[in-house]
Amino acid sequence: MSDEKIIEIRNLTRVYGDGVEIRALDGVDIDIEPGEFLAIVGPSGSGKSTLLHQIGILDTPTSGTILLKGVDITKMSDRERSKTRNRELGFIFQYHHLLPDFNALENVMMPLLIKGVKRSEAKKIALDLLEEVGLSDRIHHRTTQLSGGENQRVAIARALVNNPSIVIGDEPTGNLDSKKSDSIYELLRRLNREHNQTFILVTHDEQMAAKTDRVIRIVDGKVVEDSRDGVPVREI
Amino acid sequence: MISVYELFIALRHLTSRRRQTIFSVLAVGLAVALLVWSQAMMVGFTDEMYAKTVDRMASVTVEPKPDEDYIHLYHKLTEDIWSIDGVVGVSPVLTGQATFEYKDRNKNVVMQGIQVAAHDSVLHINDDIVKGSFRDIEATQGSVVLGDALAEKLDVDIGDTIDAAFPEANPAALKVVGIYDSGTPLDKTLAITSQSTAQDFFDVANVVNSIIVRVDDREQAQAISERIDAMGYPASSWKETNPEIIQTLKLEGTSNAIILGLIIVIASFGIVSTLFMVVMEKTKEIGMLMAMGASRRSIMTIFVMESGILGLLGAILGVMLGATLAIQMGSYTYEVGEEAMAGITTIPFVVRLQDAVIIVMFTFLLNLIAGIYPASRASKLKPVEAIGRE
Repeated sequence: MSDEKIIEIRNLTRVYGDGVEIRALDGVDIDIEPGEFLAIVGPSGSGKSTLLHQIGILDTPTSGTILLKGVDITKMSDRERSKTRNRELGFIFQYHHLLPDFNALENVMMPLLIKGVKRSEAKKIALDLLEEVGLSDRIHHRTTQLSGGENQRVAIARALVNNPSIVIGDEPTGNLDSKKSDSIYELLRRLNREHNQTFILVTHDEQMAAKTDRVIRIVDGKVVEDSRDGVPVREI
Repeated sequence: MISVYELFIALRHLTSRRRQTIFSVLAVGLAVALLVWSQAMMVGFTDEMYAKTVDRMASVTVEPKPDEDYIHLYHKLTEDIWSIDGVVGVSPVLTGQATFEYKDRNKNVVMQGIQVAAHDSVLHINDDIVKGSFRDIEATQGSVVLGDALAEKLDVDIGDTIDAAFPEANPAALKVVGIYDSGTPLDKTLAITSQSTAQDFFDVANVVNSIIVRVDDREQAQAISERIDAMGYPASSWKETNPEIIQTLKLEGTSNAIILGLIIVIASFGIVSTLFMVVMEKTKEIGMLMAMGASRRSIMTIFVMESGILGLLGAILGVMLGATLAIQMGSYTYEVGEEAMAGITTIPFVVRLQDAVIIVMFTFLLNLIAGIYPASRASKLKPVEAIGRE
């Protein structure tokens, strides 16, 4: 059955600190299937962001393996990691982290330009995505000229522009009021359905988590709950 | 290879913080301008120095064979030297010592017997004449031309007759037919007469004891001197006879370039510190670029390019500024005092294209190298830590 999984995490452990050891992740096992829309929840300091960073290849685990489409990303060279981030992953952070020297359109084009796509081609794809997130009329604005919600929509367009197989959101609505937060959630949901990409969101918002297909709860670096529509995926 | 997006990001960073960019370019530009300006002055000064000194001395001096006192077959040798490519003047000279006496004054002098036309082809002596004429020494047997300082010392003028004597020489009465001023210390000691007058005085047959040669390119003097050497006569170029000239010019040129090069280094350090600030400021963006798939190499390239572009712009601005200033100042004539600067009366500025190209390349490379440290700091950021957790 393993060829059905897009991500297989085995015995993943991340320990911080030289003197006092902090086990941010402690023997985590998770399987994720293509197209899933799931939430990782837990109290702050539980290790949920650390887990997301491992999946996003932004950090290296102390031990354990992560197979992405069957390839162990923990063993990759720096170059391969960069390439994999560019081709397979899209990131949405709590703060949009757009490049302030570039306008919305250029920000969305950037992952394509890094990939080596031609400018004209990149522009076309970026414009389509900006339309999809409802920002066609704001493409030449810089981040300072856009509202928080608008910036987050640009960030979402940017995360999706390379057509990644996995979209990673670290508190993607954490910085927005509940109304805007809902509309961003709906947008992500819609994109998930339309593009059939895997969405992994870290959130402390239990209400939002409850709306996703699957909830993985982490406490003290261990998975304490893993349920799909309220039904446990496996016994913990 | 540099990707298009790396250049795109580097250029945007520079245009976004316009004020820092302008100041960085200006700092490098001013330093480069100073170097270009000073180099132009140095080159002009050197050229003038050569014109006033080296161009007025023999390029090559030929001596008698090692065990002989005189060059006997000098007519043949003179012809042979003339046939060498690049030789534009050859003058056989008979030089000796004499004591000149006029009324109650006397002075030991160096007396040279020359052929006026030949000697002029080497030393342009006719340019230095202030009274009378060199030609008269060949028209009148027993006549002499004196340096202005020597004439003053003996208190003689044109038309006066000097008594010349020396042990083993035939005493003679020499009529002063001309006075020259070469602006060198030779004016105090050198008396010039015709070859036959000198041969009579020194009581020698048809011989000389040196041949001096002028070549059209002073840098070829060494090679031509070696060819004459090969004919069996010891020859030495002006570089061998006057090593101190080369030494002085080289030393001044080098220390000048080192000091000004250091100024550019300092200006480039300004760029390094600006770049460090930018890297700090842009930590999150760098993290985000890494998350989007920019490799560490790309991050490095972006910041090295920024430094390089600033350096290149500064260098080009500086060359234009320095060259303009030098050309402007070069069109004026400054009186700096004849005696103070070996007869140099103006400061000529010479802007050479090769200097400009070297300075631009040097500055560009220096800034590329200077950019490596802050750029490598940027590229070593860990994505997670760069993006931060808020």
